[in-house]
Amino acid sequence: MKAKSLNLLSGQSVIWFLAVLGLVLIVYRFVMGLGAVTNLSDGYPWGIWIGLDILAGIALAAGGFVMAGTVYLLGGQRFHVMARTAVLTAFLGYLLFIFGLIVDLGRPWNIWKPVFNWQHESPMFEVSWCVMLYTFVLFLEMLPSVFERYRLEKLHSLWRMMVPWLIVFILGLFTLAMTHSPQWALAMVAVLLVWEGLIRLRIMPRHAEVSILLIAAGVILSTLHQSSLGSLFLIVPHKLHALWHTPILPLLFFFSAVMVAPAMVIFESLVTERTLGYKAHLDLLHAAARVMPYLLGVYLFLKLADLVGRGAVPHALALTPQAVSWWMEMGIGAVIPLVLFMTPELIRNRAGLFGTSVLVIAGVVWNRLNVAVVGVIVRPWETYYPYWAEVFITVGIISVGLLAFRWAMRNLPIHVEGESPHPA
Amino acid sequence: MKALLIDVTRCVGCRGCQVACKEWNELPAEKTRFFASPKGYQNPRDLSSKTWRVVTYNEAQTNGRFEWVFGHLQCFHCIEPSCATACPVSALQKTKEGPVVYDPDRCLGCRYCQLACPFLVPRFEWDKAIPKITKCTMCADRVAAGEEPACAKVCPTDAIVFGEREDLIAEAENRIHRNPRGYVHHIYGKDEVGGTCVLHLSNVPFEVLGYRTDLPKISLREYTKTAMQVVPHVKIGLAVALGAVSWVIQRRIRNGRDEKNGSSSGGES
Ligand code: SF4
Ligand code: SF4
Ligand code: SF4
Repeated sequence: MKAKSLNLLSGQSVIWFLAVLGLVLIVYRFVMGLGAVTNLSDGYPWGIWIGLDILAGIALAAGGFVMAGTVYLLGGQRFHVMARTAVLTAFLGYLLFIFGLIVDLGRPWNIWKPVFNWQHESPMFEVSWCVMLYTFVLFLEMLPSVFERYRLEKLHSLWRMMVPWLIVFILGLFTLAMTHSPQWALAMVAVLLVWEGLIRLRIMPRHAEVSILLIAAGVILSTLHQSSLGSLFLIVPHKLHALWHTPILPLLFFFSAVMVAPAMVIFESLVTERTLGYKAHLDLLHAAARVMPYLLGVYLFLKLADLVGRGAVPHALALTPQAVSWWMEMGIGAVIPLVLFMTPELIRNRAGLFGTSVLVIAGVVWNRLNVAVVGVIVRPWETYYPYWAEVFITVGIISVGLLAFRWAMRNLPIHVEGESPHPA
Repeated sequence: MKALLIDVTRCVGCRGCQVACKEWNELPAEKTRFFASPKGYQNPRDLSSKTWRVVTYNEAQTNGRFEWVFGHLQCFHCIEPSCATACPVSALQKTKEGPVVYDPDRCLGCRYCQLACPFLVPRFEWDKAIPKITKCTMCADRVAAGEEPACAKVCPTDAIVFGEREDLIAEAENRIHRNPRGYVHHIYGKDEVGGTCVLHLSNVPFEVLGYRTDLPKISLREYTKTAMQVVPHVKIGLAVALGAVSWVIQRRIRNGRDEKNGSSSGGES
């Protein structure tokens, strides 16, 4: 008992230390410029910050929309107890992501410019709108927890009244921004208004606690966001290695994000059980684990069919660093977990479930790093590997996230149905 | 549309253009390093935020003997620039006069333009707290005032000439036609990535000069076009699909419950 709490304590001070170190380095970066803390160059303008903090971070935050969608739209009510944690993780993930983006952008004071300068041909424009709007949606999804915690009944009913209209407005505006066409925007608005109308007429399903339209907006925006991160790399057929450059990159990014969602949920539940003492719902985790073979199978099929279809198989068989990295990605992140998730004995115990989920997560992170860094090839004399300060800034940002997550879990009614933390 | 024609067979490697570019754009000198490669006298090695035009030194075999042939690095001012397609806020824009220009007031510094450019042209000020994207502007300020770009103005051998793009293509074809054995029969930039406003003629294969010869003939914008065009379809389609699916599932659950007559789960009404 004593040893364990001591462990936790020292673990915590390490996290605090890393968070502070990261923040100090970030201050230094803003004074000295990006060159002082990174190995980024004109040949490799994007490094691990984009690969890890942004591409991988957003993929891992997909648990939020997948869980919310499953519970409130696809009838998976039994997962209800996990939805809030997933939404909280997603919200914190997105806040961290924006924080990381501010560090990475050269001119972050202009971060709001896409609101007014519409350039809908740019995947980056789509990404920036998705970030803004989905963070806002997550914020709206989080608010009821806060209202409950501080008993703000009035605000809560104001929230109930306003949310559908806000959703209609932001999705309509986003459609206008992406198309420059009032017809498209009106069509979007019309669909949403009809939906909300049918909900009020009790023809479409409604929910006492949440706004269905809000959940749907979360799913729509996330789908676009996950896939648009893949679209970013479509424009570089001349730089991204053929193992990863494919017209279906947006689809693969989206699908792998959905695939990693149950794994993330399992991972988080088991970790919070260990560190914060909230009991994990093992039955639900098993249910989530039972979906995994299907998801992994479809993903593997998509990846391989795409490779064969484009005639890129020889690239996988060549002895290049990229091919090696590709095999690691596929092996660790897809093939092995597929086999393991189909092994009932392994999945039934906590350690097996945990380990296998970690593999899936690692595979997706690896994939994003491959696309952002390993697979990008410029001229032979240009190379990139992260500078130590780059690594510690990333670690610092993640540490801030962990601290924020812990605070929120302790202070907001995230765990419903009267669960109380067990004494550690 | 204005353009530059660079005929490397006329270039003597004096680097007057490189210096004129620095002078007109008030770019500082940069500390350069010797780099091991057959490029010997070239300086500096590559473009940077302080050097927007570089004359590259390439030892090539022509007519059985070795010779210096000079390549030219600078922005190509593509007709459909991928940098401008990539930029989320149109900080980089193609002007109808020809130059691709940059407006720092909008730029977020996301550096997506750097990733997107097939010629590795845009350069970022890594050493500054308030950085900008930098690159050759085809002296847009001079062009607007009816002048030719500094490099073209200064070139003693007319290796760089400035003019209307169609005229320059006609001129280049003419030069190849008049001296078929003195040129590679290709105008680099006529069709590369959908065509550029900087055209190159050479007497040695372009890959010897370090130019990419594997670029597609279509603008790189085509590669993102479909993905961007389906966005509104996905948005509305998904809204309809989600609504329909949730309705069906809800009905099933309700029917199932009616049969069993009782137990509820979750909080729906
Ligand atoms: S060469 Fe690169 S920077 Fe210049 S216009 Fe073309 S894409 Fe843009
Ligand atoms: S760095 Fe600036 S100019 Fe380049 S794509 Fe981003 S916003 Fe546009
Ligand atoms: S000024 Fe003319 S001759 Fe001199 S290096 Fe430039 S292009 Fe060549």
